[in-house]
Amino acid sequence: MTLPSLLKRALADLWNDLGTHMLTTVVIFLSALIFSFFSLIYFNLQNFVEHFGTELGLVIYLNKATPQDRIPALYQKLAGLEGVQAVVYISPDAAFKRLASYLKDEKDVLKGVDPKFLPPSFELRINRAVFHLDRLKRLAEKINRWPEVTKVQYGQEWLNKLKRFSVLLRAVVLISGLLLVLSSAFVVSNTIKLTVYAREQEMEILRLVGATNGFIQGPFLIEAFFQGLLGSGLALAFLYAGYRYVETLMGASCLLKGVNISFLPWTFIGIILFGSIFLCVSGTALAMRRFLRL
Amino acid sequence: MIDLSIIRLKGVSKKYPPDNLALRGLDMDVRKGEFVFLTGASGSGKSTLLKLLYCAERPTSGQIIVDGLDLSTLSPSQIPFLRRKVSVIFQDFKLLSSKTVFENVSISLEVLGLKRTQIEKRVRQVLEGVGLSGKLGHTPLELSGGEQQRVAIARAVVNRPPIILADEPTGNLDSDRTDEVLLLMEELNARGATIIFATHDERLYKNTHRRVFRLSDGRIEVTGP
Repeated sequence: MTLPSLLKRALADLWNDLGTHMLTTVVIFLSALIFSFFSLIYFNLQNFVEHFGTELGLVIYLNKATPQDRIPALYQKLAGLEGVQAVVYISPDAAFKRLASYLKDEKDVLKGVDPKFLPPSFELRINRAVFHLDRLKRLAEKINRWPEVTKVQYGQEWLNKLKRFSVLLRAVVLISGLLLVLSSAFVVSNTIKLTVYAREQEMEILRLVGATNGFIQGPFLIEAFFQGLLGSGLALAFLYAGYRYVETLMGASCLLKGVNISFLPWTFIGIILFGSIFLCVSGTALAMRRFLRL
Repeated sequence: MIDLSIIRLKGVSKKYPPDNLALRGLDMDVRKGEFVFLTGASGSGKSTLLKLLYCAERPTSGQIIVDGLDLSTLSPSQIPFLRRKVSVIFQDFKLLSSKTVFENVSISLEVLGLKRTQIEKRVRQVLEGVGLSGKLGHTPLELSGGEQQRVAIARAVVNRPPIILADEPTGNLDSDRTDEVLLLMEELNARGATIIFATHDERLYKNTHRRVFRLSDGRIEVTGP
């Protein structure tokens, strides 16, 4: 018994019972597609939260009465904090100019206003590698306790909302994944049982003429391997095509031009492929166990 | 003294739950190259005895030795190799209706891992021997009962086993086809195969010069030379 002969028998069997084998492949395809679709959304939302939080950084407003000679010391203190990538000092004058540029045609409303009415501030950019929402929160609370600081902002409401949403989405992905695995395991094991039962007589005859368990089981396991690989592979290819289409649409949209999306990580792709193959192969092995008892 | 027996049973019993004793302490010897009949009424244990010989079932007690192999010590992984030595022919033929005559017969050689050319040569030879060389591409449903049984015989002998067990092989055939099958079995025996032919058709063994093992109430008695 050689691998090419097993492959040949497996392919012949696949061809002879194409309908039933297609049914298993379609079930695997749909399950893998739904699961990987939700996972793709989850991964991109995670990326977005991380990106968004880092982009926001921290804005530290100082007391207007803070002496000018304290600024370099505060700058050094902030730059020395763990996770801080860059510190920019915004003087009241610079803040006033920025406000005027935001207002554009409406900047006349600032006429007669004291250019130093805005408080001095620092803008902190956080290192993406060490970024974590809880850590950012702790950092903000620490800085807020400094006597010169009146307020620290880091878009906490947005980030908290996004974080809550991503936790919810993760739960949806995990629960839907679990339900999909259970339902597809049920459907796949039953369609496999149908295939196995349909060939019960063939297996009985093979056993009578002295076929080993490997000879009987081999083609079935190879068929299951191909079904799992084909079903999940097609689902991932389908999802990738959809992803590329959405990416093109986003590139063309002015509103979403800056938003980057990414495809599933390679490890996750591997898990989906391996999981689908494992489901089919183990389902077949279990369904055949009864027939291999001598 | 040289031991010529190829099949030997010593005190073999088979009990089915809850308390059905199918075989009771059987002793039996079949010599190499011998053709014996195994007879008895329906339910007397003929099929059970044959099943014990090709390890489809295990005895409750006793020892069975087939071609030097002690079946009580045979592991499940060794059973396929026993079955390559012990071929079985059934009353209901056990052919695959979706496969051709050629494919049905070649199964026995595929499990041995023979090359395609060898398989083709031997299957053609055997089918010619049973008078079916013109039916290679036919499916079993296109054949008569006698022809189907000849396909089953071809499948059983194509791998040249030393022992052939025939479990009521003529049970579904008319008298002419029955005689054909018996003649075919005698030819195989003449070429050296040891044959146990289970039947309840008295006509087949009434005037035979061969030994007849008769099963009754789970016990065996032998008549003949």
